[in-house]
Parts: sequence; C-alpha cells; structure tokens
Amino acid sequence: MPESPMMIGRVTRCSTRGFVGAMQISENALPVFGSLCQAEAQGGRSYVVGLVYDISITDDQFARQLAALEEVPQEQIADGQINRHVPVEFSALAVGFHNDGGFHQALPPQPPLTLASVFSMVSKDSVDFTSQLHFLQTILNAPQLPVDELLTTALRLSAQARPEEERERFLLQAGREVAHLLPQDLTRLENILRGLRA
Amino acid sequence: MGIHLPSLLPQMQELGQALYERSLQVSAMIPKAIKALHSTAELDHSNLQSKIKKAGNRWTGAIPTEETLNLTYPPPTVPQSLHVIGADGSQIYPDRHAAAFYYLINIGSIVVSHGSGKAPTIQQESQLFFELEDLYDEADHPVQNAYVNLRRDVAEMKTLTKIAESLAGEQTLAILDNSLLLWMALQTGGSTSRETDRTLQQYLKLLDRLRSSKTGLAGFIDRPRSVSVLALIHLAGLPDDQINQETLRLTPFRGLTDRAIFTKLLAPGHRSALFISASPLNRDFRTAGHEVHFFYLNTDADGAVVRVEIPIWVAQDPELLNRVHAGILKDCQTTGGFPYTLVRAHELAVIPPQERAALEDMLQRTLLGHGLRPTQSQKALTKQLTGQRKQHTL
Repeated sequence: MPESPMMIGRVTRCSTRGFVGAMQISENALPVFGSLCQAEAQGGRSYVVGLVYDISITDDQFARQLAALEEVPQEQIADGQINRHVPVEFSALAVGFHNDGGFHQALPPQPPLTLASVFSMVSKDSVDFTSQLHFLQTILNAPQLPVDELLTTALRLSAQARPEEERERFLLQAGREVAHLLPQDLTRLENILRGLRA
Repeated sequence: MGIHLPSLLPQMQELGQALYERSLQVSAMIPKAIKALHSTAELDHSNLQSKIKKAGNRWTGAIPTEETLNLTYPPPTVPQSLHVIGADGSQIYPDRHAAAFYYLINIGSIVVSHGSGKAPTIQQESQLFFELEDLYDEADHPVQNAYVNLRRDVAEMKTLTKIAESLAGEQTLAILDNSLLLWMALQTGGSTSRETDRTLQQYLKLLDRLRSSKTGLAGFIDRPRSVSVLALIHLAGLPDDQINQETLRLTPFRGLTDRAIFTKLLAPGHRSALFISASPLNRDFRTAGHEVHFFYLNTDADGAVVRVEIPIWVAQDPELLNRVHAGILKDCQTTGGFPYTLVRAHELAVIPPQERAALEDMLQRTLLGHGLRPTQSQKALTKQLTGQRKQHTL
C-alpha cells in the first residue's frame, strides 16, 4: 500500500526563506527534527519544501503551575496533552519547491499563505527530492540554526528513506558534497562526516 | 484619555491606610467572634430556634442544623473511582449598538474521572438567542443583562444534569462555580417576573433530575463574603426581648466575614458544621425539596476557606455529603484550593476577544448573504475609532 502524506499542521507565519506551522496533534504525529515537509503555495500550483529545524510547544501559567508540582494525576497530564488547546509549533527552512516540472532545489517563488496545509513528505518524494544535493548549500548558509546537526539528521533520514542497499552510497555521495562545500573548515567537516557515519 | 493616575495618588494613599486600619480592627474582632460561636454552640437548640423565629423573615443569617455548630469534620476517604463534572458559562450580552440584536450563551464542561488515568471528556456548547421572545420581555422591554445571566446559570445546571444522568449508577460529583441559589432570579426586575419564575421552575426541575440520578451536587463559592454565621452568633447573643430589626443591624462584627473566623477554626481538609441558608430565595427551594444547606471548607494547606452549598438531599445523605467533601478536596489538590474541573470549565467557556471578533465577522457575512446591510450604531463605530489609540513613547 503506498504511503500517504500526513497533515502535520497549518502555516501561521511565513516568508520565502521558511515557514512556521502549528497544530494540535498527538505525540505520535509530531514532526521530526530534520525531516522534510511540504506546504501548499500559489493556490495549489506548487508546494514549498521545508526542512523542520525547530519544534516547540507553547506554555501558559496553568501548565507551569502543574509542572511545578511533585505529583500530577495522570488524568490531568492526559488533559494537558490531549484536550487543552496548546499547539505544537514547528519551524521549517525552505530548501526547494515542487511544481509541474518536478522538484527544484532553490528558494520558492512565493511563500505558502497563512493556514496553508503542511504535510509530511512521503519516502518516495523524499528520495526524489534528495537525488540532487544542492539544498545542502541552503542549509549551510542558514543563519542562527543548528546547521551541522540539521544537515546530518536530514541526510541520515534521507538515507533511511532509500532501500538498504542504496543507503551507504547515498551517504558517501552526500559526504563528498559536504567536503566540497566546506573545504576551509576541516574540523567542522570532520564532525559532520562523523555524524553521517554514526 | 483613560484613568488620570496622578490625581488618584492621594486617594490611593487613603485607601491603603483605610484598609490597613480595617484589617487591624477585623483581626481584633476574630477572637471575640470565635468565642461567641462557641457560646452559641452551647445554647439550647430550641432556644436558638426561638430566637431565629423572633428575628423574622427578613433575617438572612445561617440556620443551624443538627450538627454542633462549632465542630469541624475531617476529610473523608475519597472513593476509588469518582467522576467529577464541572460546568461554567460565559455570555455576550445583547447590544443595541451592534450590527444585530442578539445574545449568546457559551457553556464549557468537563468530566474528570479520578482514578481512571484517562483524559477527561470536554464539551463546549454555544447558543445564539435572537427570536423576539428571547429578546423582549412581557412589557416589550429589551431583556436586561441580569436575565441573560439567569439563563446562563440555568444552562450551566442543565449541562451538569445531562452529563450526570449519562453517568447514572456511577459515583458522580457535579460542581457549579456559583451559589446553588439562583440569585439572579432576585435581580432580573419586575417586568420579567413571570419569565423569571418559569426559569426558576426549570432550574428546580433540573435539581429533581440530579437527585434522581444520585449525584453529589455542590455549588462552590471561592472567597465568600458571606456573614450569615456571624449574623447567627450576633442573634444568639441578643436577649430575647431585645431582638428587633434595629438591634439585628447593630452587629459588633461589621467588616468581618464568616471566612475570616473559619480560616482560624478549620484545619486543612476539614469542613465546618452544616447550616441552612435563610435567604428568601431558599423558600422556593425548600418547597421544591431542594433547601440549600452550606458548609465552609478548608481546601488547601495555605488556608483557602471556601463556601460549599448543597441541596438538602445531599446534606441528609452521609454518603453523598462525604462524596462532596472528599471529592472537592481531591479535585483541588493540584490547583491551589480551587477545583481543577472548574479551572478547565472556565477555560472552555470563556470567549476570547479574537473569537468574539470572528463571531461578529460571521454575523456580518450572514447578514450580507441575506441582502441585509449590517450597520453598527454611530456610537459603536466611534468607540472603535478611539478605542485602539496607540501609546506613543519617545
């Protein structure tokens, strides 16, 4: 049975460089750091491809009061996690887009609009998108993000989306690309390569 | 301009001084009031009842029950499994300056099943009232806000009743964030009295249904300002031949509240003796078999003393009375002496400004869709223009 994309939220803030989405979802459906997602743009004619780099859960005074207690009844923990309107907020870096011509590894022409649906990317699309590695430059250029961790995790998740016999080849190719992009920074390169090998 | 704060500074100083002096006076009164309570407890029950009879129908003190009135009662054991239901309501009042004349009642409710480990069940019910009979009274006057409050209180009780009936046969406690006595029924004005009476009868029928479902029902009043027990101990100290409206008014405990004395008397988790409310409204409740009793309860180790109102069929059933006492304490454990279910019911009921704006927007689109031009009054429009003035700072 083919994998179907899962809706993980709706866009609340956005620009051509990325977007922030929010949704009240269960722990199992939380987006994963370093995973790829897609947000509808241009009235459905294109999708912005985002790389999740931050996941946060907002709090309030009531949640803080309960958190400070030695013991919280299980019913109240479940109420806080399932019923209360505390949205999970995730931020994604725009690393490409998809239109009639397929995937492109460049900034999208337009950002998604407010409340656009955001979906997780299915393995087939993830493999398709990461068959080119130009998006690694976009990650390395992103300011104030945990770039090295993000890059390593994104590549490892992309490798896992491939058949087992292709994974090592993909990671080797990605390692070479990173070495090409970071020729002056050997310490950093070594850390990233170590992360890919782990 | 808003409040002119500089001109309030001298008054604020006076306020602080006045409250400080009053707190000293009140502190000095507490030991006398406690001593008077113990003396009242020693009085012969029939003697006290005779004094209450002499005080007449206008006296609104606390009527003692068979429980010794200066005794306190420790927390009973909490049932292993207990459903606690909380309901709270909010409203948008009718506004003649708005695009349409209507009002809205919003009820939030929650059922926490203690001991289940499961997430509570939550519910929100919103209802618009826009028919002529909803908006105008028998004399064709627009309904008052107090009447909307009355209908909201009944809607809260209706929600509690429906949920309690769905849990019939199980151990259930229903908590209302209010007095059980429908005080709003006294405040809706003469012009709506027939409608008010009808609403009161609806409310009493809901209490019939709660009694049938064997629900432990309680009205929870946080920070009560009531002085009914103090009125009783003042009355008890008066010689029989000196009981009249004038002497009843001249209480030596003016400024003190029942809560102040029970804060000294009640250990954490303990409740006071049961009393009966002498409010005139309680006569209707008594006739219908729901006479409201109350006790004070220390819900928190920090001395949070609240007033809990219960109908007579809870007061006279030891199992239901203990369920109310223990259940409220259990539900208050994590929320500083106020029930968790009521915190959440309020959160579910409250209408935030952005949701109110969305409702207004929906209303305007609906009116336009029916070929009507939504217009606000000039007063409402100018308030919008001036109400969002920005504060400019250098």
